[in-house]
Amino acid sequence: MLLVVFQQVEKTHAISKGGDYVERTTIEPWIVDETTHEFFVPDYIEQLADEVLQSYDLSVKSRQIVTTKPDKGGAIWKLETNRGSKSLKLLHRRPTRSLFSLGAQQYLVEVREARVPPIIKTKDGENYVEAGGKLWFVAEWIEPLAPVTKDLEGAKQLCYALGEFHRLSKGYTPPKQAEVASRVRKWPKSYQKMITKMTWFRNIANAYKDMPASPSLLEVVDEFAEQAKRGLERLHQSSYAELSKLGNAYWGLVHQDYGWSNGQMGENGMWIIDLDGIAFDLPIRDLRKLISGTMADLYRWDVTWVREMIEAYDEANPLTPELYEILLIDLAMPNEFYKNIKEIVYEPELFLGEQTKQLIQTIVETDQSKWPVLEDIQTDWKGRR
Amino acid sequence: MKILMVCTEKLPVPPLLGGAIQTYISGILPYLRPFHDITVLGISNPSLPDEETIDGIHYVRVPGKVFEIYRNSVVRYIEANEFDLIHIFNRPRLVLPIRQAAPQAKLILSMHNDMFDPEKIDLEEANEVIATVSGIVTVSNYVGNAIRELYPQAATKIRIIYSGVDTARFLPGTHQKMQKIRNELRKAHGLENKTVILFAGRLSRNKGVDKLLEALPELAKKHKELALVIIGSKWFSENKVNDYVAYVRALAEKLPIPVVTTGFVAPDEIQHWFAAADLFVCTSQWQEPLARVHYEAMAAGLPIVTTARGGNPEVILANENGLVVENPEDPNGFVTAISQLLSDKSRMKKMGEKGRELAVSMYTWDRVASELLEVWEQAEEVTQPTLEQAHAGEVTSEPLEAIKESPKEEKSEQETKEKEEKAKKKAKKKANEAAKEMAKQAGRDDDATTTNETKKKTKKEKRQPFILSSSYTENASDKKKGKGDPPFIIG
Repeated sequence: MLLVVFQQVEKTHAISKGGDYVERTTIEPWIVDETTHEFFVPDYIEQLADEVLQSYDLSVKSRQIVTTKPDKGGAIWKLETNRGSKSLKLLHRRPTRSLFSLGAQQYLVEVREARVPPIIKTKDGENYVEAGGKLWFVAEWIEPLAPVTKDLEGAKQLCYALGEFHRLSKGYTPPKQAEVASRVRKWPKSYQKMITKMTWFRNIANAYKDMPASPSLLEVVDEFAEQAKRGLERLHQSSYAELSKLGNAYWGLVHQDYGWSNGQMGENGMWIIDLDGIAFDLPIRDLRKLISGTMADLYRWDVTWVREMIEAYDEANPLTPELYEILLIDLAMPNEFYKNIKEIVYEPELFLGEQTKQLIQTIVETDQSKWPVLEDIQTDWKGRR
Repeated sequence: MKILMVCTEKLPVPPLLGGAIQTYISGILPYLRPFHDITVLGISNPSLPDEETIDGIHYVRVPGKVFEIYRNSVVRYIEANEFDLIHIFNRPRLVLPIRQAAPQAKLILSMHNDMFDPEKIDLEEANEVIATVSGIVTVSNYVGNAIRELYPQAATKIRIIYSGVDTARFLPGTHQKMQKIRNELRKAHGLENKTVILFAGRLSRNKGVDKLLEALPELAKKHKELALVIIGSKWFSENKVNDYVAYVRALAEKLPIPVVTTGFVAPDEIQHWFAAADLFVCTSQWQEPLARVHYEAMAAGLPIVTTARGGNPEVILANENGLVVENPEDPNGFVTAISQLLSDKSRMKKMGEKGRELAVSMYTWDRVASELLEVWEQAEEVTQPTLEQAHAGEVTSEPLEAIKESPKEEKSEQETKEKEEKAKKKAKKKANEAAKEMAKQAGRDDDATTTNETKKKTKKEKRQPFILSSSYTENASDKKKGKGDPPFIIG
């Protein structure tokens, strides 16, 4: 009966791809506190994991939780099975969004032979199982993997691998049922958001004038807001609009969370893991994040590092002068200031303490060394094609 | 006619969780019910049955939330059930799938916002949608214009029907029904002797309540005893905190005046807060279709400060029922406008009275419903006219009793193409006539011109009696239950 079936859906929420009803609960974020151990996962999720694994032709000898996202409702387990080590992932994102990432991972492995973990198929030949209103999947556990060294050589290895990844990701077409995750056309919007939030920072610092960090924040926020405004103007004057029209498949995918832990050295080269947040974008966004993050770790901008990181990337995925210009524009945005201050809205009274005062000082000092570097590399791509 | 109203995939009807479209549908149903056999198709909700008949309206609820899932459920339902007219709310992307499932039905589309924007629907699909619907109803001129600009060919199909408000529920705080509630609410929240500014809406950058919070320190310097009430949660009933909400809270905490944040208020209690307030402020920053809260504020007799964005100014008679802030990104615009009102209490009072007057005379649900009935009755076929369709047109304009007769039998009597055309014209005339009648039945006086037009219609048509059949609805729903069970597929 029509009605009965619909009722079942409402209450069941989750069905495996093969059509078997798996369970009755919806996965929600969970609370961790002093009473829970480091990688606590609620029992019902562990039970769901048991059921999910039934869909695989694997005999699981052991299952160990290796990381969790309790605030979002995600988790990763390491499995030892009759077919070697595997990972089991509970993806916290909307199922339709996860479909996009899974499709990308499959494309990278099967079509482009990229060094990303192959997805293990279910008994029904599917990439995933739906349970608890979320998607789960099993992938190869790549061993051995070791982080590259935290020096310029390591940084260059990361950059080369990133370029390679971007190049191989071109041409991806998401499955029909998937949401298309694309940031290609969203740059002006995210720049604008940064500008807007600078106003928020100022307004909050004004409202909480008496806090230790407020005067420092008020002292510098206008300058950073100006940087962001200039960035948006430059973006509008650049070839961005033209470039973005080239479309999603042309540009391929960005990882969005790339760095020393998600790019690691394996036996036959660099592997890129944790692709859940993958999205279409101009590729240099990952590169920009890697550079500005690395400079923040150095507490200063170093022209040799920046130049060689870009060169290493360019070797694997050549940058056109137009794209290089966008990279320069993005590097000039007040990324680190924004990233570190945006938490202010949550608990201004806790945030605006001595520690943040120190943090602002560090950011400002690091920022001062950025401008000569950007100046230096400004013309590096002149005449290139 | 046998009519299906297709809601969006977001929120259930009745509007347990609020929602402009859901409120709109619920508001007009009582006035539509006497004239047609109506089914409302919407999303399921744990607290509502998947199928029920209340006050002669048949409700069917299918899985939703995600558009694709909802679309599939809707299509499956329509494949298994026949309707003369399907009215789709704010989802142009449902139109083509529905057209495929119901090749013969007339389709009407209601547009409540910018779902025709190129990011929301492909150009090609939009063109097909516009071609296949009989009419497009918009909630404001702004929404209609936006569609016309993108798709000029839609112009002849677009009709504005401003939304409405339950003026018996939203009442001024001075109304005898509300006095006690007003006093109690104000007392409970420490608002006695305060001039209460009310904001009601989602906490989002688009809705812009932060600009009001920015304006308040300045206003508090100029005017004594101010207070602010913020009704609204982030996403209807969910009280999740994102960065914007956190920002707004951070600002509110430091304001020199009392701020009452209500969180989610059940839709059937929201009028209490309107009655407890003294001034209504809408701070919308985006090109808003036309926010419902304006009607509610008017009905509650509140003077309004709103922004020159989207359709909002369309319901403001400047200086009569409110003021429009031209440049809402700048908090000073709100300082100036609000200050103007607060400095002249008698003007505030007059504006509130004017608002109430407008609400009662122009923005009631029965007016909305009668305009919609006109749209339904006047809806023309857009597919190639076949005998069947021409006839369906005629049948629909007859009193409901006539629908019980088998249209197929009658169809065979009509043979020539000529007759068919005639029948169509006649049906249209009758439809006009019927719509006027219905408007009257619904208790609304039409303006003089339309009444004169009505008089021109043939006497024969005028004499057609209206027979309201509620039993028909029940029969229909019984029939539906007997229909085959469509297969269930999960995407």
